[in-house]
Amino acid sequence: MASSGGSEGRAGDGALVSAFLEKRENLLLFLAARTRSMATAEDLVQDLYLRISSLEPGTEVRAPVALLYRMAANLMVDHVRSAQRSSRRSAQWRLDSRTAVGGEDVVDEPAADEVVIGKERVRQLADAVAALPPQMGRAFRLHKLEGLSQAQTAQAMGVSVKMIEQHIQAAIRNLTQRLRS
Amino acid sequence: MTSMATREDDATAEAAAWLARLQRDGVTEDDGLGFEAWLAASAANRAAYRHALDVWQAFELGADDILAELATQSRRPAPRAALTRRWMMGAGGFAVAAGLAVAIMPAVIAQSTVQTYATGKGQRQRITLADGSVVDLNAETSLKVSFARSGRRVVLGEGEAIFDVAHDERRPFTVEASNRVVRVVGTQFDVRNRQGELTVTVARGKVQVRPIAAAPSGRAFLLTPGQRLEIDRTGAAQLKAVDPQETFSWRAGRLVYRDQPLSDVVDDLNRQFVEQIEIGDAELGRTPITGVVVLDDPQSVIARLSLMLPIRSVPSARGLLLLRK
Repeated sequence: MASSGGSEGRAGDGALVSAFLEKRENLLLFLAARTRSMATAEDLVQDLYLRISSLEPGTEVRAPVALLYRMAANLMVDHVRSAQRSSRRSAQWRLDSRTAVGGEDVVDEPAADEVVIGKERVRQLADAVAALPPQMGRAFRLHKLEGLSQAQTAQAMGVSVKMIEQHIQAAIRNLTQRLRS
Repeated sequence: MTSMATREDDATAEAAAWLARLQRDGVTEDDGLGFEAWLAASAANRAAYRHALDVWQAFELGADDILAELATQSRRPAPRAALTRRWMMGAGGFAVAAGLAVAIMPAVIAQSTVQTYATGKGQRQRITLADGSVVDLNAETSLKVSFARSGRRVVLGEGEAIFDVAHDERRPFTVEASNRVVRVVGTQFDVRNRQGELTVTVARGKVQVRPIAAAPSGRAFLLTPGQRLEIDRTGAAQLKAVDPQETFSWRAGRLVYRDQPLSDVVDDLNRQFVEQIEIGDAELGRTPITGVVVLDDPQSVIARLSLMLPIRSVPSARGLLLLRK
């Protein structure tokens, strides 16, 4: 009981923190479904931890894992929204993420996101997309490469959102098997 | 062995299903809990998911490059046939509908709707027109599109665009810019109309350029792939042999120059970046440049240019000032 561990000193959120520590990797994999890289997903998990630790001490938590996923899902939605706002595909984006310090430009983007994909790999990935059946390929291209949401993709293709999810699922399966190295 | 392979395939299929479900517009706590249970069920599930995630994120990081590569591939003959076929089917449907409509109310059909598209500084935009033609707009470009039964008409104001035109012999595609009409049936070409200078570069198919009816003078040209027509402010025309892919490279965020003055390069960059570049003296502006400029950000562009030319940059009120080294 008289633990000296920083976060365990609080009575109410102990269960939540220990659930977090136990599920940390799963939460990371959950969030990574919507981030550009594992590094960005790590940032979100860290964010989640900060939110948990700042919860009111003594808050009663009946289902800690459910609460963790609720908070993670909210973080994910916020992240996607702000990533769309900063419109990663435009040249403007790089300008926006810069801040001038004493006349020098400083990039405040995480270095891990600056990973460059090799030419050969790009060709391999493009070939795999080109080999998808037409409708599946179109859905993948609009949703994944051009960054439309599932609803926007459905609208552009004149099919249901459910159908888009099925196309994306089939595309992921196809691409993952094809690109198995 | 067989059963192991099957189990792995099952895990891959399930991983794909979870990854797709997590792309929903509103992911919920229930999605999370279901995912958690599936992940915890077996090590194979976790491994399959991680693998699918790797592939998924590679597509995210490489999205722009992959799109550019796909665009290059689609200019080769095979996928092109698919586009044309799809378009012809669409046109057939349109013709039937239009034929019926004409019989009932010709006045309505004769009218066409005009759509206007415009991009600002640093913006590039791809639009797909109703006939399946694709137009890529460079920065600071405006164009108007009006489609009618008799023809597909685009008016390019100031700016530059690449047209990938769906084939339709019955409805010629025309682009009007700077007192000239560019007329095609199905092809790919770039039209640039900047500061009174017009250039038309053809990658595929045949393109006719002639003066508009109201133009004071000028003759008609028929361009074939690999040709570029340049018409200057005075109306003087010059026909050149070029590599069209170099002209088209702006679409993939690159500009290619062959013996062009630094001032032209700076004019192009100033359309791409908010931060404006100025050249210290006119003579420096005339220095010829040959090379590829990658459009990421002004600082890096200048850093790379300074490897080709004896220049350095200093911060200025509007952005950067280029000086002799």
